[in-house]
Amino acid sequence: MALGSSHLDLPAPRRAGTAVPAASRRRIELGSVLRPYVYLLPAVVTLGIFAFWPLAATVYNSFFQWNMVSPRKPVGWENFDRILTDPSFISLLQQSALYVVLALISAFLLPVGLALLTMQVGRTAGAFYQSVLFVPAVISSTVGAIIWQFLYLQRGGPLNAALSAIGLEPQAWLNDPNLALPSLGLVSAWKFLGFNYIIALAGVAGLPREQIEAARIDGAHGWHMLRDVILPLMAPTLLFIGLTAILQALPNVFVPIQLLTVGGPSGSSSNLLYAVYEDAFKFFQIGRSSARSVILVLILGGFAIWQFRLLEKRASYE
Amino acid sequence: MSAITSHSATSTRQWPVRQIVVHLVLILAVAFTFAPLVWMLGLSLKAPAQIFENPLRPLTTSPTLVNYRDVASRLDVLRQLTNSVIFAGGVTLLQLLIAIPAAYAFARWKFRGNALIFSLMLLSIPIPFVVYYVPNYVLMARWDLLNTYAGMILPQAASAYAIFLLRQHFRAFPRAIIEAARLDGAGDLRLLWQVVLPNNIGAITALAIIIFIGSWNEYIWPLLIAPDKSMYTLTVAVGAMSGGEGGTRWGATMAAAVIASVFTLGAYLVSRKRLLKAMAEGGVK
Repeated sequence: MALGSSHLDLPAPRRAGTAVPAASRRRIELGSVLRPYVYLLPAVVTLGIFAFWPLAATVYNSFFQWNMVSPRKPVGWENFDRILTDPSFISLLQQSALYVVLALISAFLLPVGLALLTMQVGRTAGAFYQSVLFVPAVISSTVGAIIWQFLYLQRGGPLNAALSAIGLEPQAWLNDPNLALPSLGLVSAWKFLGFNYIIALAGVAGLPREQIEAARIDGAHGWHMLRDVILPLMAPTLLFIGLTAILQALPNVFVPIQLLTVGGPSGSSSNLLYAVYEDAFKFFQIGRSSARSVILVLILGGFAIWQFRLLEKRASYE
Repeated sequence: MSAITSHSATSTRQWPVRQIVVHLVLILAVAFTFAPLVWMLGLSLKAPAQIFENPLRPLTTSPTLVNYRDVASRLDVLRQLTNSVIFAGGVTLLQLLIAIPAAYAFARWKFRGNALIFSLMLLSIPIPFVVYYVPNYVLMARWDLLNTYAGMILPQAASAYAIFLLRQHFRAFPRAIIEAARLDGAGDLRLLWQVVLPNNIGAITALAIIIFIGSWNEYIWPLLIAPDKSMYTLTVAVGAMSGGEGGTRWGATMAAAVIASVFTLGAYLVSRKRLLKAMAEGGVK
């Protein structure tokens, strides 16, 4: 890059007519035109290799049969055909939807509700709750999963001991096909509640005081205040948290699944994302795994683009 | 819900019933958050024979460090600590080195493709990580980087999130200061190094801690790329202790979990205010 061009800040075309000799001006202009790209180069190269190329490779691989060792064998749409016609696909889809619903409760409704409550307590108490509720966010999902594995123990586990103490039947939390999925959902709820709570709190704190005060003087209070004034004002934050909850539902439960149930019993706690991993690293079916990735991205695509638009819009403010 | 803001007069008058209910709900959330951590710490301090003695009383009256000694003798804790520091530190450093100039370029200059390149980068944020794991694993295997630090670190070098967050900060940085420094003859690199970075050090530190904690806590990726025991990070070692050979040794596993968590908890305690602010910025603003 041309260091000598550092005093020029605007793009080349605007600077026509400066009193610099033609040849050196061209050099300066070339330098200042290229400069931003030089700064961007490392990011573009690394994102290209490790984020965009992988996406392209995934789409490409989805049309092959491949075990990472022997050469790829082209199979056309067969991977997609097999996945979509397999009866297990419907259960994976249902289980994924259930994880998303649980995430909407634990990573959307609960954090927003708690944030609204936090705004009603004093500043010191609020700061205390904020600091404390965020703690699981800095502890690994691995540690979280292992602690919950103990809490869920069928014999000798605290949860079943508590149930027995109040006269209820102990449960096979992780081994009952009906309970495994919600039990794992609870682990990720514990770990990720604090994240979205912090974001929701910032949204509440950013509410325009005057507008709320004006509504109060106009007689708005209680449920009406919440529904007609506060929630509409919070809409952008709510949308962002909601979309994050949806998009992160499956990634956030990934480690608990891997450590506590590996998708079982009999596939009841697996989901579309876990199947991508299983196909690749347990069955070495890269083609089928890639096809699953493509299907997953297409399913989540609408939400992903929506969130992306929000990020883009925010980026263009200020 | 009449008093949504904490400063209104009504909220003080209504203290007793409403305030108590609000605090009760929040304290319930705190209990849900803390109970598992109490069990983690409590079990790590119980002698192996005591673990199942009284399932509803996590804390023992006669704490022992026997589990910590057990972990120290069976796991190579120092080695794993080193691996964790190299992995998390490497990812953090590399992400910042790549994100800072990129964010600076986006924030400071108008150039052809600015918006387009930025948008393309943002597009990578909502894609689930497992989608990247498979091809990146294949790539690392082909580059012969399995069981190496480089293989663990490199694919995480670029973070669109870091670029996004820093760009917001650099854009908000007053242009007048940049102009003044430029008039004093500062070149671009010096401007970045000596003016923009020092003035945004709070945000950059917070981002660094967020990246560091996130990488420290990773489990699947480092285990995939470096399955060799000598390459285990603390987090991977804790994961490997669960289940495994003939049932879990709960006391030792929890001691390892405490050791793995102490560092991220410490980082959080030290930087709490900045970190929470940066987290909030990642979500709103």
